[in-house]
Amino acid sequence: MSESFKSREEILERLKVVLADLFELKAEQIVPEANLYTDLDIDSIDAVDLFLTLKEITGRKIQPQAFKDVRTVDDVIDAIQTLTSKPAG
Amino acid sequence: MLSGDRKLNHVWRILATGFVFVLFGIGALVISVTMFPLLRLSTRNADTARRRIQHGMQFVFRAFMETMRVLGILTYRVEGIERLREPGRLIVANHPTLIDVVLLVSQMPEVDCIVKRGLWRNPFLRWPVSWAGYLQNAAGEELIEQCSASLRRGHSLLVFPEGTRTVPGEPMRMQRGAAHIALAADAQILPVRITCDPPTLFKGNPWYRVPARRFHMDMIVGEPVAARSFMRDLEAPARSARRLTRWIQTQTETGRVSQPMDLEASESAWLADPAQQHLIR
Repeated sequence: MSESFKSREEILERLKVVLADLFELKAEQIVPEANLYTDLDIDSIDAVDLFLTLKEITGRKIQPQAFKDVRTVDDVIDAIQTLTSKPAG
Repeated sequence: MLSGDRKLNHVWRILATGFVFVLFGIGALVISVTMFPLLRLSTRNADTARRRIQHGMQFVFRAFMETMRVLGILTYRVEGIERLREPGRLIVANHPTLIDVVLLVSQMPEVDCIVKRGLWRNPFLRWPVSWAGYLQNAAGEELIEQCSASLRRGHSLLVFPEGTRTVPGEPMRMQRGAAHIALAADAQILPVRITCDPPTLFKGNPWYRVPARRFHMDMIVGEPVAARSFMRDLEAPARSARRLTRWIQTQTETGRVSQPMDLEASESAWLADPAQQHLIR
């Protein structure tokens, strides 16, 4: 199930649903400046589940190094934008 | 003002505690150049050697517990010991004192432990810890893979899910690694609750600050539960691990026995408890 994302707001809305469901969070906790590890209590093992889900919703292959420096929700949005701006393949 | 007898007893326990700390350090060196190599050389089979060494560790730690008891430093009691001796279980315990691992291993003829990485660089200890089949405290996924492999081979494995000693008076901060290990290995989890009264040898408390009286350690072994009973259909492991981690916390923190079936009901109450907000936020 691939989706096309237009704006950062749309990506954030989608992330709110995905992260809340995956990691038992409340939607209002998922703000751009929230740190995944310290604010949202996502650990390195959880990050694997996050990759798999992002792969599913973007329909793109995700290289782990694209997420190496990801710390905040905003960084995730950046990474998704970079991924989806490239042609699929 | 302490009365004469109590003061004498206090000084005695400081000296005795200092003595057992030195004994522990020297003992570790002595057995790494005697017991460990001898047991390793007693057979060509590495797995047989591992089991003999683990039995040896139980004997040494048992002797250490008894030394402390005879010297009047502590008393201890274990409840449900037979459940510790079933193989292939993930044993999860809270971690109030420095000697929890000594007490646990003294009761278990065979158990794999996770050991500080630095020991593999220590010239005296690197071979003993590998012969004993102990696991290196690696990062994240690598450690979980090694631990679940050990369980799948039918070994029991001891984990302190908090990752460090409990800070007295603060809520327990469980990490989710233990839950991920149990889920990955599809293992039985055995919760163990350790208490120490009065509190001593906790994090940040130096050895010479002995408690006002001889301390007592109680170790209560709970009932085993299958990790898979915490999994729901079509659910990411991240969620099952959170559910299982909450169960481990209630079991080791309060010792309240609850089966996973009751968990669904208690879960909503638990989630609403403000004292637990740090875990779910």
